[in-house]
Amino acid sequence: MKKLQLNKLLLTTLAVCLIIFCSGSVYAQEIDLLLKGGHVIDPRNQINSKMDVAITNGKIYQVAPNISPQKAKTVVDVTGYYVTPGLIDMHVHAFQGNAPDAYIANGFTSLSPDGFTFRAGVTTVVDAGSSGWRNFRDFKKQTIDRSQTRILALLNIVGTGMASRFEEQDNNDMNPQQTAYMINRLFPEILVGIKSAHYWGDFTQVDRAVEAGKLANVPVMVDFGEHNPTNSIEDLFMKHLRPGDMFTHTFAYGPANRETVVDENLKVKPFVFEAQKRGIIFDVGHGGGAFSWRQAIPAIQQGFLPNVISTDLHTDSMNGGMKDLCNVMSKFLTMGMSLQDVIIRTTVNPANAINKPQYGNLSVGTEADVAVLNLRKGDFGFMDIRKTKLKGTQKLEAELTVRAGKIVWDLNGISAPAWETELQKK
Amino acid sequence: MRIVLSILLFISTSLCVHAQQYDLLIKNGHVIDPKNKIDTKMDVAITEGKISKVAKDIPATHSKKVVDATGLLVTPGFIDMHTHVFVGSKPDIFADGIYSVSPDDFSFKSGVTTVVDAGTSGWRNFPTFKSNVIDKSQTRILAFLNIAGSGMIGNPDQEDVNDMNAQMTALSVQKYSDIIVGIKIGHYEGKDWAPFDRALEAGNMANVPMLVECHLPHYSLEDQLNKMRPGDIITHSFEKITERESVVDDQGKVRPFVLEAKKKGVLFDVGHGGFGFWFSEAMPSLQQGLAPNTFGSDLHRFSMNSGMKNMLNIMSKYLNMGMEVPDVIQHATWNAAQSLKRNDLGSLTEGSVADIAVISILTGNYGFIDAGGNKINGTRKFESELTIRAGKIVWDLNGLSAKNFKGN
Repeated sequence: MKKLQLNKLLLTTLAVCLIIFCSGSVYAQEIDLLLKGGHVIDPRNQINSKMDVAITNGKIYQVAPNISPQKAKTVVDVTGYYVTPGLIDMHVHAFQGNAPDAYIANGFTSLSPDGFTFRAGVTTVVDAGSSGWRNFRDFKKQTIDRSQTRILALLNIVGTGMASRFEEQDNNDMNPQQTAYMINRLFPEILVGIKSAHYWGDFTQVDRAVEAGKLANVPVMVDFGEHNPTNSIEDLFMKHLRPGDMFTHTFAYGPANRETVVDENLKVKPFVFEAQKRGIIFDVGHGGGAFSWRQAIPAIQQGFLPNVISTDLHTDSMNGGMKDLCNVMSKFLTMGMSLQDVIIRTTVNPANAINKPQYGNLSVGTEADVAVLNLRKGDFGFMDIRKTKLKGTQKLEAELTVRAGKIVWDLNGISAPAWETELQKK
Repeated sequence: MRIVLSILLFISTSLCVHAQQYDLLIKNGHVIDPKNKIDTKMDVAITEGKISKVAKDIPATHSKKVVDATGLLVTPGFIDMHTHVFVGSKPDIFADGIYSVSPDDFSFKSGVTTVVDAGTSGWRNFPTFKSNVIDKSQTRILAFLNIAGSGMIGNPDQEDVNDMNAQMTALSVQKYSDIIVGIKIGHYEGKDWAPFDRALEAGNMANVPMLVECHLPHYSLEDQLNKMRPGDIITHSFEKITERESVVDDQGKVRPFVLEAKKKGVLFDVGHGGFGFWFSEAMPSLQQGLAPNTFGSDLHRFSMNSGMKNMLNIMSKYLNMGMEVPDVIQHATWNAAQSLKRNDLGSLTEGSVADIAVISILTGNYGFIDAGGNKINGTRKFESELTIRAGKIVWDLNGLSAKNFKGN
């Protein structure tokens, strides 16, 4: 009897102690994850200096110098690395599936994004018109709803999206009203714009896309292939597109299929500067066939910089000169663009271009999508799509990627405890 | 004068054409070809998709294209023994579903040219796997056929013993003998040994090995190993999870019956996956003579971004755990080919298909994570510079095969 009471007392004391201890630690450890000692580049908030980033409940909790590690449940030392908002890849094809004879829409040329994004520091991708209003819901069901990567999308002006190059020509299946309804009434959170691509004819497709863009109040992205003879890009920029509309595959060189931004004497065409001033957004969209040094290098040298750096990720670009967003960004570093300018073009610029200012920054309270990047030094080579190479001495590599507060990629285990230490604990 | 020049030009051109007997020459690399016991600096010449010569100092002028591999390893393309690549659009399953991944997304960038699917399909849906993925991929895909008729379609369907048909499974192996390399048993949570026995029966009928995978909670490890034949493969060898006894006991000793099984000829695959590789198992095993025979990655949606990453990362783990470079290469190439009874693969033998990995060894500070989230530190790491599949360059990390940009 006495022993029992003693036990009871002991248990009560223990319980009280436990409560005090727990609440104490909850109070002290208000931060779930602290990235300490890194160099933060957050262009939206004009940060480009050494700072710590604290994450709680999946959101950015604090960005400041010298946040105490005692306040955090998990601390990751990111000394020597750059800490940026999770990167946004403005141009991918992610509507993977195996519909018979399908091209990009529900086809094998699209790919599942999670295998490419986090390992390149990307947390948000924008699918560039793989689906149209007829098959977007399939895309949403089988890919968007089931991926860890945040997937936004441009809806193709063609109802069946990129079912095949042939179906993409069907003027009777370019319905601005249906396209706008689907964007505004059905999926305004996911659908951020309209895509026009691969058209063989005149300006009809672009004009329909812009009409839909006006109805839905969203931007249009134009892939202005494959006209033969080519249509005037000056007319496209100055007469057909609105400020805020996007031109992709900016540095493609295939003069028979699409007019180039840099002429045969390696001069940027004057109206291109005018177009950018007018508000046309220039997207890289590297892809398997749309990035040539002979376009990009003169452009950068002459001060024509793309607004957005993106991959055009699909199965025909993933193993070529493109590889992933970090590799494409490294190309721009190698051409002389500053790291800050490269980060701007993969965070705040794409977020602004799709009217989603909540993404691409580390503002307190936003969803904690973070990239920790290593700028490797060494001898590297970078290929364009014509298999010519530019040598470089630095290359970006994703060390750690955080999506909504969760570590989704850790290249070298910087967030993991050492095995020997664990063993000793036993 | 002009005539003389023309004649000279003609002669030299014709000489050149005659001399350029190779399509591609990889020069100055350090060749490791375990089957042929080569571990030295050599050149590798490729013609019409096949290895045409491996020798010292093959003249550059004899080839249409030359890649300088100075400072790099040149090895047979790697074979990933354990993947799930029957990718499709079905939710929440592996077979024809989104839990599987497209092999080309991961293979070439890690030096892998052949992947082996670990029973994602069964005899009923293998034709779909073949037409949707195998025939469309650049990576060579071989497959273990699941004893469950429709492969990995989730519970309870994949556990239907009535749909585990040894005869139909064996017939499919014979029908697709160029692709199907064995029978897989896994994912059965009952106590009945019928699924295991039928997989063995199918293996005997078709004369192919059996791959024993995971999620067989009521079969003891010892019973599994006892039933396995020499040449059968157990995967997830170094897992430490409740549903399967680990190969290492609580004192850190490899269990005697495991070493017995190895002696008998049972083959141990890594099968890293999301949960299949623990340093606490793998390290003592390696030290006590239970090195894995192969480095299967168990690549799928839930392992790709974990401590696994890709097969090259697993190879780097073993490098930093103390395995020598030639050993690592042998496990990733010739060992795998032999265990699949595909001796045509996994080497640089003249006349064989030109599947080649060109690898650099980076030095620096690296970390490697296991399934428990624990890390070892290392100083070396493999990186895939150039991958060749059937003579074609399918990956070139730094433009080793590219010309320098000259301004236009």
